[in-house]
Amino acid sequence: MNTKRKTANSFYFALLLLLSVIFLFPIYLVLMNSFKSKFNIVGTPFEFPNGETFVGIENYINGINSSGIIDAFLRTAFITVGSVIAIIIFTSMTAWYIVRVKSKFNKAIYYLFLFSMIVPFQMVMFTMTAVCIKLNLNNIFGIIPVYLGFGSGLSVFMFSGFVKGMPREIEEAAMIDGCSPLKTFFLVVFPILKPTAITVAILNAMWIWNDFLLPYLLLGTTDKTLSVAIQIAMQGAYGSIDWGGFMAMLVLAIIPIIVFYLICQKYIIKGVIDGAVKG
Amino acid sequence: MASISLKNIKKTYEDGVTVIDNLNLEIKDREFVILVGPSGCGKSTTLRMIAGLEEITEGELYIGSRLVNNVSPKDRDIAMVFQSYALYPHMSVYKNMAFGLKNRKTPKDEIDKKVRAAAKMLDIEKYLHRKPRALSGGQRQRVALGRAMVRDPAVFLLDEPLSNLDAKLRTEMRSRISMLHKELKTTFVYVTHDQTEAMTMGDRIVVMKDGVIMQNDTPQMLYNHPQNMFVAGFIGSPQMNFIECTVRRDKNGFHAVFEEYDYLLPERMNGPLSLYTDKEVIIGIRPEDMHSESFYFKPDGANTVNLHVDIAEMTGSDYFLFGTAGKKRIVAKISAAEEIKNDTVCKLAVDIDKIHIFDKISENLICD
Repeated sequence: MNTKRKTANSFYFALLLLLSVIFLFPIYLVLMNSFKSKFNIVGTPFEFPNGETFVGIENYINGINSSGIIDAFLRTAFITVGSVIAIIIFTSMTAWYIVRVKSKFNKAIYYLFLFSMIVPFQMVMFTMTAVCIKLNLNNIFGIIPVYLGFGSGLSVFMFSGFVKGMPREIEEAAMIDGCSPLKTFFLVVFPILKPTAITVAILNAMWIWNDFLLPYLLLGTTDKTLSVAIQIAMQGAYGSIDWGGFMAMLVLAIIPIIVFYLICQKYIIKGVIDGAVKG
Repeated sequence: MASISLKNIKKTYEDGVTVIDNLNLEIKDREFVILVGPSGCGKSTTLRMIAGLEEITEGELYIGSRLVNNVSPKDRDIAMVFQSYALYPHMSVYKNMAFGLKNRKTPKDEIDKKVRAAAKMLDIEKYLHRKPRALSGGQRQRVALGRAMVRDPAVFLLDEPLSNLDAKLRTEMRSRISMLHKELKTTFVYVTHDQTEAMTMGDRIVVMKDGVIMQNDTPQMLYNHPQNMFVAGFIGSPQMNFIECTVRRDKNGFHAVFEEYDYLLPERMNGPLSLYTDKEVIIGIRPEDMHSESFYFKPDGANTVNLHVDIAEMTGSDYFLFGTAGKKRIVAKISAAEEIKNDTVCKLAVDIDKIHIFDKISENLICD
């Protein structure tokens, strides 16, 4: 029995190790190549940088200087932070209302939110782009409500799952303790929703930060976001791509979201479990 | 300090179900009133209507002299303790207790004074900086009580506050809440389904069933003079024995007759029973009103019953005898002075003075 379990354990360990390597290898490749000179990247992409090929942070300097990546970085950060805050505040309040105030209308709204998760973006993207341009939403401020719309389905679903498991008495106690509905929400309900809010924040931040299609359609190449800037850099001028600068940009682009994830990861697990079990 | 008065209160939910119909209840200032009944009888709904957490469909609710039908919970000057404690999980004990005062813009030093005084009274001073999750059930319940206390409300509402606690803690908290009522001198309305809590704590007990008040009286009156079979069966454990019998009349007076037994009923019952001659009624006898014959000295030894004992439970001082007399199931509680074995026949004397007689159809008391 014991040896059987040991064999099984080593098997799973080997399998997971292999999977980790497969997942991490592209990141390793990007990171390693970002320190090599641009000609060596194409010729010997798998070789570790040595004295000859190692160029230090030259690629990073080139990348930052050439492609307006700092602007793109700030723009992306603004859009991501703005959208995530909007999603969390609006969808948590919506979910609370939908769950607590029972009516046919609210039920319909809830199913509408669920339905919006099923519709693929590609199906609506052209009509939506046309509408957004008519409404003057094709700028970095206008894109925030669009993200709010696309992000609200999953977020409302997750928040409602959690609110359903929350004892109503806590809110009633707050009402008796002198809270208005708004105060009840912000002083009592929202702090309890914090783990779910963090989960929702991570999921949406990762998606919005890395999103390419929506900013490309709405903001185009004038107000580039990170992913659009990287895509443009990769297209280059007919073959003369600065692979070194490109690799450096990729590294810079993934660092913030990884850091954000690492900071919040202890909550994401808790949030997912809480929502699942109580919902 | 305030009285509460419910006038013709009706509660109908959106799906058309009426849970409370035409409820009238007066609760005096500083009274400790218990609402008791089986689950689904509307006792919690009544309490929640007093709190303002449930809308009143019809009727008028007064707290003091103020009509509060449309007053929000926070303006009713009430405090409520919930079954699930309902503490704010992200706040420390101190903040939980201070929250209501803070919302009412009470000065900080006054909040501090009140919170510490309440904590001292409830013996939770040590835990003021802990979060609720780091407390045991009993401690949490005391915090919930403290949160209600600090506000000096006119009315204290308690919704089954002890049902999540274990038996030992429950007994302890029971006396603590009774003490609290004495010290605070406020009106208490307490909901429970536990008759021990009801009997031991309240000045007055309101027994409810299906949204209707079955009886509203002191614990002694409820026990000794139940107004209907529901109250008679609900209060007291093991519950009262109900036996169907026929009323007969002869020159000695009225008799209750069932199977081979014939009990001469006390003279005081002659009046009310005159309408029931040769009709069926139900007599109620509490288990403790049956005695082993040797311990019961009454001149007319006629009122006896032969109980075939199925199970004899020894509790130390008493025996609970579960058995049958003829076809009727009967429970008796007798002194444990002599040993009684299972599957024996035991001759018991019935204290006919303490018998209750109910109408078979309306189930209301005829006389006792």
